[in-house]
Amino acid sequence: MPLITEMNLPVLPVENPDFQRDPMPYVDAARQRHPWLARFEQGYIVHGYQAVKDLAFMDDKLVMGLGHVVDFYQVRGTPWARFMLEMLQSHTGPEHARIRASVAQAFTPRRANRVRPAMREVIDGLLDEWSGRDGFDFAEFASYFPIAVLCGVLGVPTTGIPRIRNAIETHMASLTLDHKYYPGFLEAFDLLWDYVDELVRDREASGERDEDALLDALIAARDAGKLSDLELRDMVLVLLIAGYDTSKNMLTLTMYRLLEHPEYWQRCAEDIDFCAKVIEEMLRHSSIATVFRSVVEDFDYQGHRFPRGAMVAFSMPLANRDPAAFPDPMSFDPFRESETRHLAFGRGEHICLGQFLARAQLEEGLHLITRRISNPVLAGDIAWRPFLGAWGLSTLPIRFDVAA
Amino acid sequence: MVKIIYKESDGTEHPTDLEPGVSVMQGALNNGVPSILGECGGQLACGTCLVYVDPAWRDKTGEPEEMEEATLELHADNPHEGKRLSCQIKASDELDGLVVHLPDSQY
Ligand code: HEM
Ligand code: FES
Repeated sequence: MPLITEMNLPVLPVENPDFQRDPMPYVDAARQRHPWLARFEQGYIVHGYQAVKDLAFMDDKLVMGLGHVVDFYQVRGTPWARFMLEMLQSHTGPEHARIRASVAQAFTPRRANRVRPAMREVIDGLLDEWSGRDGFDFAEFASYFPIAVLCGVLGVPTTGIPRIRNAIETHMASLTLDHKYYPGFLEAFDLLWDYVDELVRDREASGERDEDALLDALIAARDAGKLSDLELRDMVLVLLIAGYDTSKNMLTLTMYRLLEHPEYWQRCAEDIDFCAKVIEEMLRHSSIATVFRSVVEDFDYQGHRFPRGAMVAFSMPLANRDPAAFPDPMSFDPFRESETRHLAFGRGEHICLGQFLARAQLEEGLHLITRRISNPVLAGDIAWRPFLGAWGLSTLPIRFDVAA
Repeated sequence: MVKIIYKESDGTEHPTDLEPGVSVMQGALNNGVPSILGECGGQLACGTCLVYVDPAWRDKTGEPEEMEEATLELHADNPHEGKRLSCQIKASDELDGLVVHLPDSQY
């Protein structure tokens, strides 16, 4: 059985700005040499749909590879490294299940639907504030939306958002494995930690309790001995981070895509069910997450031996554009009929906790934005984010008319 | 072994034998039964393991618990009776012969 370390695999230059702009020419070429596996500087990248799907279910062989990220920067022993190695995603099996259970009830489809009116309020408020200008950077606008919704779910004030936005961005940038982000992300982490610690202390001191507030449910779980004090804080931070960078990137990419499809804009304004179709196809066509795994036990897959210690990335954006799974993958078609479902939210144990909340807020957001602004056009240069971690646009300047 | 019978809407039957304790979702995946996806591996986080329990078996399989109920809301527009998430039904001697009907789509 050939070891992947000894195979002559194609290389994907994920750090190259051209790749970040449009990875497909590179991936199409790589696919000619190997249908689903390639190398990148730090390890292996799985880009075939079926392979990502199969491997993502192998939670006992492949665990979250954040140890590799920590070692890349050689910062074991820092509070940031402790968080990376101990938070929800880094656990597996019963420990993972225990920690995830502490929040799972707040993220069911029922709860996501119950939050819809609050989502509408947030986006309406933002549009009141922003749509008076005749143009803005949509990426910046979008960055205030999902995090405000999440603050609502947690039951904490949104006034802290400006303080933590940049710090979350900097922390996320660490996942792109680029030394230029060191030591900035360590400082950003200290700021985030202080913020979360303050949230918890303030809430405890206030003595207020609200049965819909997730922070209160977490405090109660801690008091009942189901979570430690540290795990409580780690969880709040995990949610703020996971809920910030993902939905905002998806919303920005959706806006970008619809600039090319004015025929869909009006329809989204009229019909929220159509918004759901657009969002689902966006999650397929322009996924954002490339996630890391570390092989903890040698295993074989499709005639390949994966050795213990290898770092493997699952790339959802690339897997969702695999022509073997989605015919004509680059065409954006909200009416695509298929039981083959994209991998935007992952599979297996770590499948996205926020997937129903994310879908609901993207649908509500798109619906209200298309109702309140019209004729959007690109008004400047766009810029792409690094590919690993959470891909997307960092800048999307637009101009538009305010709908009557 | 516990016999579980999965039925497609066109009448095709997939009789399978499961070890006690294995979920009806996992049993379907292990035996190549179509249409059950089980995207989250059985932790009530995806809602893609929907089945309709045959009327004759609903007393035995019982009612969904609160988390399952809240996840089933994903299928609120689906008018079928007996909706359950099959990762929450475990094979047991009591359920020997259980008949579940498969949806045409999980989405
Ligand atoms: C469109 C938006 C989103 C996308 C594309 C997305 C994508 C993903 C993916 C691919 C994973 C799996 C990671 C892996 O397997 O390593 C994941 C996990 C996770 N997501 Fe999301 N996500 C989104 C929104 C959210 C939101 C709004 C939240 C809310 C708090 C959230 C919370 C989480 C958490 C906590 C995990 C880790 C689950 C675990 O390890 O058990 N996500 N997400
Ligand atoms: S397998 Fe995910 S809810 Fe049953």
